[in-house]
Amino acid sequence: MSDVNAPSDVEPDHEHDHHEGPGYATPQAAIEEGEREELAYVMSLYVGTDVDAPDFVAVVDLDPDSETYCEIVDRIELPNRGDELHHFGWNACSSSCHMEGLERRHLIVPGQRSSRIHVIDAKDRRNPELETVIEPEEVFEYDLSAPHTVHCIPDGEILISMLGDADGELPGGFLELNDDFEIEGRWEPPGEVEMNYDYWYQPRQNVMVSSEWAAPKTYYPGFDLEDVEAGNYGQRLHFWDWEAGTVEQTIDLGEEGLIPLEVRFLHTPESTHGFVGAALSSNIFHFWRDGESGEYRAEKVIDFESREHDDWDMPVPALPTDILISMDDRYLFGSNWLHGDVWMYDISDPSNPRRADSLSVGGTFGEVQEVQGRELSAGPQMIQLSLDGERLYWTTSLFSSWDEQFYPEEGERGSVMLKADVDPRKGTMELDEDFLVDWGECPEGPARAHEIRWPDGDCTSDVWQ
Amino acid sequence: MVSQRHDVTLEWPDADRETRTIAVGEDETVLEAAERADIALPFGCRTGACGTCTGRLLEVDGAEPAAGDDERGTVEIDGAFSYRRSPRALKDRHRTAGYVLLCIASPRADCRIAVGASVHTELVDNPWK
Repeated sequence: MSDVNAPSDVEPDHEHDHHEGPGYATPQAAIEEGEREELAYVMSLYVGTDVDAPDFVAVVDLDPDSETYCEIVDRIELPNRGDELHHFGWNACSSSCHMEGLERRHLIVPGQRSSRIHVIDAKDRRNPELETVIEPEEVFEYDLSAPHTVHCIPDGEILISMLGDADGELPGGFLELNDDFEIEGRWEPPGEVEMNYDYWYQPRQNVMVSSEWAAPKTYYPGFDLEDVEAGNYGQRLHFWDWEAGTVEQTIDLGEEGLIPLEVRFLHTPESTHGFVGAALSSNIFHFWRDGESGEYRAEKVIDFESREHDDWDMPVPALPTDILISMDDRYLFGSNWLHGDVWMYDISDPSNPRRADSLSVGGTFGEVQEVQGRELSAGPQMIQLSLDGERLYWTTSLFSSWDEQFYPEEGERGSVMLKADVDPRKGTMELDEDFLVDWGECPEGPARAHEIRWPDGDCTSDVWQ
Repeated sequence: MVSQRHDVTLEWPDADRETRTIAVGEDETVLEAAERADIALPFGCRTGACGTCTGRLLEVDGAEPAAGDDERGTVEIDGAFSYRRSPRALKDRHRTAGYVLLCIASPRADCRIAVGASVHTELVDNPWK
């Protein structure tokens, strides 16, 4: 069923007094009106292991006053094995704030390996139900595969970045779903990009930015240096005309920008500033539109040095695999999965990020290697921040086959979700050792855990018109 | 017309599981035949792009397999299976080492294969360690 109950005209002048749709009128309204997260939805997976069970969406209790705090209180099991749940998103966010009748109600949950797309009805936030499945064959008909990032388009439609063609080769593209969760078609003219990964849009600036991982056939089986040497991994950012769906400008980040993954614009709809983490080069780039030329520019602003380790032949790269921007646009948070760090940088001057604090936990060098007696098998990976910026949570799995290379114990023991308390006024973080969610205790066997979302929007879901 | 079948023996090298032998038709994949026999093998894309279903050929018609350029006179790996589509997840070095994508491979001879989650992890190592 459609989540659009009554059609309405989008307010052309964007006044906030007619705010009838889902989400929040402004990023600051999200901070003020958003309640403390009491539940989390977390992608949970068995793909690639010998556990004979499908991947599932975990509902985690985050209410400290609840008897089931830190427990997985519901599991939405998917109908098939082999999906590799990874990233997911809502049918509607604050960008649809003038779509009267549209609700933030359905989770769009793609299988990264299977190319199957699940639609979950989360009307009952604690007990969501699987509603619709788009089978891989339907997706392949559009010569696309490997669904990744899900954002809504402000009119109720849904856009998914697709990393490969139907053979798992290049080019990738974008798949559009309508508000009845049927495939509408390809969003862009095929061939606008070769590689694809994450994307974010800033509608008031009529811009979308997309990043690059590799062809699915390249990254699916694992990370092979031969592929880096052969140029099979990405290093470019693409800036799109959001209305037209065409690439206007491509920036090659060069050797210091290898594998640009998570890409985020600031939340304020006026901004043309954003950040991207170049995972393999272990650098963070700032990008912005240059006022004079009207062109986007990108510059390396954070460089994480590789570190020597006695057990490794080569210096260990940091591998910053996830970043996010706090709702007040004040801090950039991130995770260095191989080193075992979460960090926060002050970005009040986005060209000159200033390190505020970091925690050394899990991973190759983490000072904390167990929480409540539970040994950590991997470093911090997917992060999510409370709307008020006071609690940072993270899980530890990157991608099933890459986990096996770098942290083989992650699959045997399962992932964990950890939390730090953040003081956004002082710019500090502290590990909350009373908080632990353990996917090693799942009834079917240890599971991996990846992306995290709150039921009513979060720092990586919502965009403003 | 009934297609020819071959005995395919599945062994789990790193798991305490009993070896199983299943009859696999030339017109079905090893993964499909295993599912028919209610044997859970790992898989992902089911199109030959992801490598999650990777098995390793141990024996063909009772002889150790050899790559095509080997002159010992044993059965070639490429003769043991027919692929429905190109095995995109495997590099040449994987194919010569005997790795097979069970989601798209149909047997052309009796064979013994190492299966289970540990096999696909052999395709790549940690390059820095």
